[in-house]
Amino acid sequence: MTTSPAYTAIGKPIGQIEGPAKVSGKGAYTADVALPGVLWGKALRSPFPHARIVSVDTSRARALMGVHGVITGRDLPDVLYGRRMRDMPLLARDRVRFVGEKVAAVAAETPEIAAEALRLIEVEYQELPAVFDPQEAMGPGAPRLHDDVSAYPGHREPVSDLTNVFSVVRRTKGDLEQGFRESDLVFEHTFTTPAQHQGYLEPHAALVDIQQGRIHVWVSNKSPYAVREQLAQVLGVPEEQIVVHLPHVGGDFGGKGALMDAPLCYYLARASGRPVKMVMTYLEELMAGNPRNTGVITFKTGVKRDGRLWAWQARCVWNTGAYGAFLPIPTVNVAGGMQSAGSYRIPHVEIESLCIYTNCVPRGHMRSPGAPQVCFAVESHVDMMARALGMDPLAFRLMNVLEEGDTTPTGEALRDVHAKETLQAAAAASGWDTPKQRPHHGRGMALYDRHVGSGLSTVTLTMAEDGRATLTTVAPDTGTGSHTILQQIVAEELHLPLSQVGVTVGTTDAAPFDAGVGGSRTTHITGQAAYRASQELKGLLAAAAAQVLGVAADALRLEQGSFVATGSGAARSLPVAEAARLATRAAGGPLRVQITHDGGSTAGITSFCVQVADVQVDPETGQVTVERIVSAHDVGTIINPLGHQGQIEGGIIQSLGFATSEELVIEEGRVTTLHLGEYKLPVMKDIPELVTVLVQHPEGPVPYAGKAIGEVSNCPVAAAIANAVEDAVGVRITDLPITAEKVYRALRAKP
Amino acid sequence: MKYAITLHVNGQLYTLEVEPTRLLVDILRYDLGLTGTKEACSVGVCGACTVLVDGQMVSSCLMPGVAAAGSSITTVEGLAGREELLPVQQAFVDYGGFQCGICTPGQVIAAKALLDENPHPTAEEIKEWMMGNLCRCTGYYKILESVQRAAEGGQA
Repeated sequence: MTTSPAYTAIGKPIGQIEGPAKVSGKGAYTADVALPGVLWGKALRSPFPHARIVSVDTSRARALMGVHGVITGRDLPDVLYGRRMRDMPLLARDRVRFVGEKVAAVAAETPEIAAEALRLIEVEYQELPAVFDPQEAMGPGAPRLHDDVSAYPGHREPVSDLTNVFSVVRRTKGDLEQGFRESDLVFEHTFTTPAQHQGYLEPHAALVDIQQGRIHVWVSNKSPYAVREQLAQVLGVPEEQIVVHLPHVGGDFGGKGALMDAPLCYYLARASGRPVKMVMTYLEELMAGNPRNTGVITFKTGVKRDGRLWAWQARCVWNTGAYGAFLPIPTVNVAGGMQSAGSYRIPHVEIESLCIYTNCVPRGHMRSPGAPQVCFAVESHVDMMARALGMDPLAFRLMNVLEEGDTTPTGEALRDVHAKETLQAAAAASGWDTPKQRPHHGRGMALYDRHVGSGLSTVTLTMAEDGRATLTTVAPDTGTGSHTILQQIVAEELHLPLSQVGVTVGTTDAAPFDAGVGGSRTTHITGQAAYRASQELKGLLAAAAAQVLGVAADALRLEQGSFVATGSGAARSLPVAEAARLATRAAGGPLRVQITHDGGSTAGITSFCVQVADVQVDPETGQVTVERIVSAHDVGTIINPLGHQGQIEGGIIQSLGFATSEELVIEEGRVTTLHLGEYKLPVMKDIPELVTVLVQHPEGPVPYAGKAIGEVSNCPVAAAIANAVEDAVGVRITDLPITAEKVYRALRAKP
Repeated sequence: MKYAITLHVNGQLYTLEVEPTRLLVDILRYDLGLTGTKEACSVGVCGACTVLVDGQMVSSCLMPGVAAAGSSITTVEGLAGREELLPVQQAFVDYGGFQCGICTPGQVIAAKALLDENPHPTAEEIKEWMMGNLCRCTGYYKILESVQRAAEGGQA
């Protein structure tokens, strides 16, 4: 490990700044926000996967005592919603496209009255032919869900000729045909992954209050400015009319980026003249949230006899459900699809990623969108090829993994590539070469690498007369500890004790813009903004100190909490607190700086993660017990080891669920795992032994030379387990989750 | 028809008129304003709504308020009494036993109930006891450690 400079706050395992409030129930999440006169909203949802709405009769609901507003699609302007491509109505107008699509909404004095009102709404439907399988949906005879995708605002050309395909992204490198001609062996495998729900324990909630012409919004969302922009778009009002507040967010994992019920709260608030709150039940979350895309991932790969990867063709078919509205990236695709040739040096590559409409729940973003699916597929495929070639899976990876100077399968040049080092660290920590002691014990490995995100972030830093600094951010802390990191940075730069640095959140009125949380960018961009704001504030304090000490400000150094005049003569110094007192007095009030930081390009920056799973398989039942995970990470400087390790651990257990127990079962378009007894999140008893290995190099765009950690540890887990299962009992599971039933059947089918 | 009930919540006496179907979680959150108790799954499997009713852990999303009539209820707001934080709550802060915090009220109530009953639990006993409290952020390792550290301190 590299020796790091002597920091006072950076690198320390500091508990979350919101900790005392959160462990004593004082933190307010959206559902906890109380406003006088608030009404409860609820939505009526479609029971059919595909149907024409013949009529909606709300007269009985409107007549119910305690009901103050009822809206249907006909009562709303004819607008469509989407984070990028706008293809989803706020309430269905003529047609419903999935089970759970909202058709009407009510606001009432109590949730019970609202529920009763929904029962009194009569909707006549005429069922239409539906399609649930993405590959069937692409066929020429399939029912078409959307008449003209190219007409949707935000859609990106070109439109595919295939039915129901609304986004295609292709990347090529080299010459695939030549690559196959030059290959000695060709392998073809297909993998499937289920819909996974984000599983946050805060279901989506929204609250809207219209006061003096301004629209106040509280919503379970990670990007307040995106909320403001999207809401302004669908409501047809200027952004400045909207104030987005920042309540705590009870888990995001990528799933809390959409408006959900906020527009309906607005229309119900307008109809009733009172604030309206809507809190989804968990049943609604599982039925109609925005879970992970179901993937069908197919490979055709050519290799040289010595094991070199030579030609790689990947096709990702994503079941995206009835709407693309929850997909935020410019291509309206699933970003993970672009990693479907892994982290390898391959001369000839063709990657294709297709998003397809079906009459299923619309899919959204979840922690490293698309990557856990493709990583499961890629790293299983790699293992299968290594085995077929008679090579050790570690040796096969070492031979083919990216090195400094290589370009990725999509042609990007990486820098500071520590793939081999990370592979070797994982192998050493897991005892990769040590023989397994018991029968049916297996060991498997998988590899992933991920970028550091970027964007714009704004912070405001003030210093009061007593020397206390307060940083105001407009990016919520969704649980990652990002606000604590900001506290640490300000404390470090201004030589303040942590107790003298506060972090508060502003509303969207507090700053011009912030990209919000997501895309492995938060510590990078909010951290840099806080770092720069601290520097600027330090300059103001230094100027005040310089005046007193009778030197130029640039002759001062900040040492152990005091500005020290350097140069000849007796050392003179002034404590920061004293400089604060003088500077605020001179300024006639608190010092204040606001910084909008642009993270710029982070192209080429990546960090690797290699995991090794040890499993024990019961050959009688097929039950797989994951006994140990070794997780090796190529990291930069770690600002907060407690939060950093928490990201690693949380990601691994989320993906333990993805690998072994979680499946949002969808039968004929209906989600049938409708409560958390059926949809099985891991519990404390499920956690395996965990060994974390850090391969540390101080580099990366995060302040103090760091990288991102939030979206890596959840990617290799499933493939490492699948590879371990084959190692243990010789069966290959290509369809997640790896349940006892699947392993049992595969064992029985084994010749 | 409504029933008059009394509840002792965090040492304070409340007299309320409630429908027989009104759930304890809704009474706590919306009638008494004690929103520290969270609701997630609504079917008693996630533990977010855990409170102590006469010292026993209960999923308040499953219990009608009338069934708690006359009982003493402790929610996360009342856990520390007049103290700032109990040692077990402090341990969750110091050892990273939460991230987003939505499951945390239920987690600390469950941990407190465990340590009251079994002051020195083994890791296996903690896992067994706490498996009814789901957490999606932490992966549980740091919750386990928080409970262990609180137990080492000798005071819950």
